Amino acid sequence: MASETKLSHTAAIILQALDAGFVYGFSIMEMTGLPSGTVYPAMRRLERDELIRSQWERQSIADAEQRPARKYYKLTAAGKTTLQVSRKRYPLLERMVPSEEAKSV
Amino acid sequence: MTPASQWASHLFHLVLLRCASLLVPAKQRAEWLREWDAELWHVQRACAPSRGITWAAEREVTAFCLGAFQDACCLARQMRPRNMPRAALRGSPVQCILWLAGLLAASSVLALLLPGVRAERSLSPQHVGPGLVLIRYADSNDGAPLTISPGQYRAWKGRKQQYFDGFAFYRVTEESVGQESVSTGDGAHGKAAWRVARASSNLFALLGLPVQFALPDLKADGNVLGVILSEDAWKRDFGANPKAVGRVIRVGRRNARIVGVAPEDSWGLPGKVGVWLLQPDSEIDSGGAGYVVAHLTSAGKAAMWTQCVRITAYGPGASENDLLGFSIETWRPGTWGIYLFAILLALLSLPAITAMSLGDYSVCSHEHSWSQRLCRWSFLSAKISLLLPIVYFASLDLAYGHSTFDPARAMYIQLISSFSFCLFGFKWALQDQRQRCPVCLRLVTNPAHVGQPSRTFLAWNGTELMCGGGHTLLHVPGLPTSWFSTQRWLYLDPSWEFLFAGSGTGMESEVISGFSSS
Repeated sequence: MASETKLSHTAAIILQALDAGFVYGFSIMEMTGLPSGTVYPAMRRLERDELIRSQWERQSIADAEQRPARKYYKLTAAGKTTLQVSRKRYPLLERMVPSEEAKSV
Repeated sequence: MTPASQWASHLFHLVLLRCASLLVPAKQRAEWLREWDAELWHVQRACAPSRGITWAAEREVTAFCLGAFQDACCLARQMRPRNMPRAALRGSPVQCILWLAGLLAASSVLALLLPGVRAERSLSPQHVGPGLVLIRYADSNDGAPLTISPGQYRAWKGRKQQYFDGFAFYRVTEESVGQESVSTGDGAHGKAAWRVARASSNLFALLGLPVQFALPDLKADGNVLGVILSEDAWKRDFGANPKAVGRVIRVGRRNARIVGVAPEDSWGLPGKVGVWLLQPDSEIDSGGAGYVVAHLTSAGKAAMWTQCVRITAYGPGASENDLLGFSIETWRPGTWGIYLFAILLALLSLPAITAMSLGDYSVCSHEHSWSQRLCRWSFLSAKISLLLPIVYFASLDLAYGHSTFDPARAMYIQLISSFSFCLFGFKWALQDQRQRCPVCLRLVTNPAHVGQPSRTFLAWNGTELMCGGGHTLLHVPGLPTSWFSTQRWLYLDPSWEFLFAGSGTGMESEVISGFSSS
């Protein structure tokens, strides 16, 4: 995916949330306030465009915490470049989803 | 909420997710469901931390689950191959119909835009209306001028007639016509000598001649008479400018307003005319004789069963005048007539250039359903229905698109082009139909030559083509023999379908649903 890819505002917020450390769908929903019908399809498209990639959590970790394993999402190199471009396009992006909040979750 | 209702609620959400998962392609369904199940577990924990599920929390969880439907649709769209519709369209009946519709749109729009075609279509096949005669004295020679005096004309017109219900008069003279925009031919502006027909104001109405750019009132307007230009004069002296209509020019010693333009070749009466000056009967001077045109009543038409009829007219003092009435009704075929004649010729010629069969369906053991037969015939009918107007408009574009063609030449061009387009169009429609799979109506592809020409009588020699959907094989013999004279279809077993990408898939079914029930 070329670095000059122009993302929609919603897709840019999701990328920013992922970069801030919100790495699964429900946490992004909570952080951004977007509904599930928006967040998950957007993540499918971002994954198709190779801006993010997904990875299943190890089952042993989930078992230890007595919960189902989750699917985590992570920015790719192309995704990081695109996010940089998007931050210039949407200057308020970083203020909407600050990185510090993720650390406290 | 009670534990039972909590359990029911959880079950409800799981059912919602399973329903949504049905929209996801089978290969991705398990992983997709696993992710949503895991997310649901977390959502439920987040919405009902310790005190149990409330109705507000319930709504939140349900809204979360409903979002799964959008996600499932999105994933289904992503998994659909992007180039599949185009591939499915290739060789399909829809593609064929779209091409023909495009050609029809292009040719008809061109016909609407070309002024020559528009003018030709506005003309009636008959240049001069029916039931008209030109009257002259019986004792004058064929080459002699038709000399009916204006007085005689007024006398006939003023009297009730049994055989005639309308008279018009005109006399052609050479007069000076002047207006600033009229050139004299040598570059200077001023008056020029034109062939002027001084005519009764009802001449064009009686003859039924078309007038282009006509002003609403063709009659004289007070002191300013009406004048109609010939198309030749309009092009030569007014630069074919439609705004010339309405201008006032000077004809002889009278001012006259241009009220229209007579199309070229529409004037079929004696005398070459550049401009028609329409005058009230009272203003037609008695100085010179001219031509009288009369319209026959029904009794007159019944009496006039040849091209020429003898008429006895009673003049002043009960004197008898022997006159002859010549029918001036002219007819030419018109664009529709030529077109229909060309279709007839093409239909008669078609068996000479191609076989009329639609393929060897009767010999094979495969039974076609009535819907398949209906689809095949509907498709052929649709092709021909689109082809016929394409031929009409394209031949008009060719024949009348160029303004320098004279009408006779344009007529021949239309006839030849209509005939050629029809003949080769019909040939194409039949050949195309023979090469379409009887099941899905797609064009057969991938021709493969089988056998050797030298072994025609020992083994099979010819070409095999295959339906892209995997329904049929088409065998075309290289050399028709008594045991294999025409093409044959071999219907493939449905178990072969796995070999053909897209065969029997919903996508292909969508594309051909209009034509096939397979």
